[in-house]
Amino acid sequence: MSASTDDLHVFPRTVERPIAPVWHRHARDAVQQGLIAALTIVLGLILPAALFALWWTAAERHWIAEQILPPPAFVWDSIKYVLETGELLDHIKFSASRVAWSLLIGGSAGLILGFGMALSRSFKAYVFPTFDVLAQLPVLGWIPLLIIFVGIEEPLKITAVSIAVVVPVALSTLHGIANIPQSLLEVGRVYQFDAFQVIHRIVLPAAAPSLFTGLRQGVMQAWLSVIFVELLSSSEGLGFLMAYSRSLGQIDMVIVAMLAIGVVGILIELTLRLIESRLQGWRRSAF
Amino acid sequence: MKRRSFNATLLAGLGAPALIGLSGQARAAGKPTAIRIGFPGAGTGGRPLPTSGYPANAVFRSEIEQEFASEGIKVEWKYFVGAGPALNESFANGLLDFAFGHGDLPLLVGRSTGLKHKVLMSAGRGSDVYFVSPANSPAKTIADLKGKTLSVQKGTATQLQLYRVLAKYGFNDPEKEFRIISQIRDDQVASLSTGDIAGALLSPFGLEARGVAKRVAEIFDDPDISAPSTVWVGEAFEQQYPDIVQRVVTRLVKVAHWSTQEANRETQYQLWTRSGVNTYIDNKKSWDRVKDLRTRLNPLLDDYYVAAIKKSIDEAKKYRLIRREVSLDGWIERKYLNKALADLKLENYWPTQDASGKFTRT
Amino acid sequence: MSDTPKVNKAPFDWRGLVLPVAFIVIWYAVTALHLVNTKLIVPPGGVLTTAWAELANGSFYLGIALSLWRDLAGFTLGALAGVAVGTLIGASRLADKLIGPTFHTARQISLFAWLPLLSALVGTGDLSKIIFIAFSAFYPVVLGTLDGVRSTTKAHAEVAQVYGFTRTQLLFKLILPSASPQILSGLRLGLIYAWLATIGAEYLLVNDGQGIGNIVFKGRMAFNIELIIFGLLAIGLVGNAFNRLAELAERRLLRWRAPAR
Repeated sequence: MSASTDDLHVFPRTVERPIAPVWHRHARDAVQQGLIAALTIVLGLILPAALFALWWTAAERHWIAEQILPPPAFVWDSIKYVLETGELLDHIKFSASRVAWSLLIGGSAGLILGFGMALSRSFKAYVFPTFDVLAQLPVLGWIPLLIIFVGIEEPLKITAVSIAVVVPVALSTLHGIANIPQSLLEVGRVYQFDAFQVIHRIVLPAAAPSLFTGLRQGVMQAWLSVIFVELLSSSEGLGFLMAYSRSLGQIDMVIVAMLAIGVVGILIELTLRLIESRLQGWRRSAF
Repeated sequence: MKRRSFNATLLAGLGAPALIGLSGQARAAGKPTAIRIGFPGAGTGGRPLPTSGYPANAVFRSEIEQEFASEGIKVEWKYFVGAGPALNESFANGLLDFAFGHGDLPLLVGRSTGLKHKVLMSAGRGSDVYFVSPANSPAKTIADLKGKTLSVQKGTATQLQLYRVLAKYGFNDPEKEFRIISQIRDDQVASLSTGDIAGALLSPFGLEARGVAKRVAEIFDDPDISAPSTVWVGEAFEQQYPDIVQRVVTRLVKVAHWSTQEANRETQYQLWTRSGVNTYIDNKKSWDRVKDLRTRLNPLLDDYYVAAIKKSIDEAKKYRLIRREVSLDGWIERKYLNKALADLKLENYWPTQDASGKFTRT
Repeated sequence: MSDTPKVNKAPFDWRGLVLPVAFIVIWYAVTALHLVNTKLIVPPGGVLTTAWAELANGSFYLGIALSLWRDLAGFTLGALAGVAVGTLIGASRLADKLIGPTFHTARQISLFAWLPLLSALVGTGDLSKIIFIAFSAFYPVVLGTLDGVRSTTKAHAEVAQVYGFTRTQLLFKLILPSASPQILSGLRLGLIYAWLATIGAEYLLVNDGQGIGNIVFKGRMAFNIELIIFGLLAIGLVGNAFNRLAELAERRLLRWRAPAR
């Protein structure tokens, strides 16, 4: 004869842990997460703090001449000064606008090239070999020639940086579209999509990750090239600020410009990541 | 293990420049193994040769080498495409002992950022200054170029010269009244050829011959426009080896004396072509107008020199090229020059100028 | 009764040559007919003459050799450091938390922005160029290594545990080989950046030294456009050659990997 589970002699009740109310559990989790986050931040700050201490000591003890590596206090003063006068913002605007224009021009050109080469085999046959060879040549190489033909003003900078953007965008567009699985295209055929619908509903979404990677690389190349061009020849912009400050022995301003470049770089990276996660979210929901 | 090697590499990387800086100054007391002398500027395409002037003659005639050859002290010459500013950096890193012919602006900038050197003598003064524009430019005078793009190598003495020239023609806020970009000399020539800039301060003769540019203004030996350049020695070196400093100064005075002899004029025109910057004709056209070579090839630290440096300091402050005060206290060290002049019996050889540039003795 | 089908080699696609040939023809025509300022748009013949003169001149080869030496020296330095740091960050959570943030932030500072400070510290000679080149190769290599090390699967790690690998064996026999495709891809990217940095450094850190960049510099100084174009071609060809070699090397090194992804 089987016993019922209510029979305490057969199934003694073990002492049960009282279950905490729900909000207790959430609070505990939150505190744990908070602690972990705080610890991560602290750990991440150790190396920068150490480097800063090294910098400070090197300046204090004059291991390196102050004309070459100014003390942190000096750099801090310059940061304040340049923020007050708004000078830094002006230079940032110049560099940023060059990057923006070049992304527009170079990005569009790259997309068109990439699409063209992916969708039309004959176009690719004509264009790709030349493109491949030219892509190997670093943009910087072009610049002395460009200076002669395009001059030294804005057109030079935008042309040079656009060239830097075209290559990664075109290549990743080509790659992204060429790698669309046939099955997806077949679905389009089954549904009898017209060209526009094929592109809009199949090609773009499927190639989006590659396109995005290309955009990312394009942005990075643009930023790289704009600083180079400005260092070489310019009268405004962050690269110019560095070169000019240096010729006046103001290395602290050079460091300020470097920090500004880093900050802008971080902002761009964060923006791209935001856009990317938005895109990812949309993609997931599409399936 | 990886972490340690990484950290070691990091520290080594940071320590290397420090070591480089320290090693330059740690020498055996008594005699240095080498004397390192810098020229702000280089020849065409970075060629390691000086252009003109009496310190350049010292290089071409190996005068300094001869002075110290018997003791086995080497002489290292350094040339900087980055001009005066680059020379400052090199000195800050402990890689230089002397500078021959540093222009006024980089000299002041260096001192204002705390570089420690002593002015020994003047490397030369006066010059013919030419403002050139592209050959097909419609401009007849500098006033016609208002608002256009001009080019000068910023941070060098030429920058102040340009400001002075523009001020002479009534432009007292040049950075607002023109667009002034910074280029090295060779790039300025290229931009003139393509018409990308409207004006620059360059030697015009070769450019005119090639049909690239034309003169829009020229100024000859104007004490307000051209400031003297300087020979200096690092304080550390001077404290350690004052006798060497004296010998260098005396030798330079000898070279300066040689340079002012009429008989040596042609020779110098030839020597000064070696850097590739100027041709024989350039030199002839520039210098034939100088009746008495002593007016330019002049090492004195007279009233004019001091006044000119003071004026340059004021201008540098006005145009916000320096951010800290520059005082002349203890900077100009006359004793070496005076002893050299006395030893060589040349005390009254050179003409002196007063603060405004007027000759008080010829 | 299966015949191994003959593998047809794809016929050489002549269409790829159309654009370059057309370009040269137009270039030649435009200069021969004096439709443009021939001081600026120099005739192709002039470039060939200059090229010939340069190739006959020994200093050109010296220049290429020097540029390549700097490139390789810098690359090796940067790549070694990169693999080391990448493995460290990838394998150790602690190292990742310590070094990672600084690394990723420093990475945002555009490469050439480091150059003025570097050259103020170390000058414009070979040392500063090599350091800069090493720096430029460092980042991509770290990223590639990081990617590869992180993707060492759990299954592999468990096998290693079963076999009782020591730390060193774990590193060299498991992690690095399994990460090798990503490491190699990072190295290839590093090579590209290193060449970029070599040329850029030669343009910006000018002295009277030798190098391919110097050829272009001298062309700029003398306003010798033929020389500039020749320099560009040389840069492009060397870069191209590098890339092809790197591709070949990568394919050979990864041959042991089964074709399955």
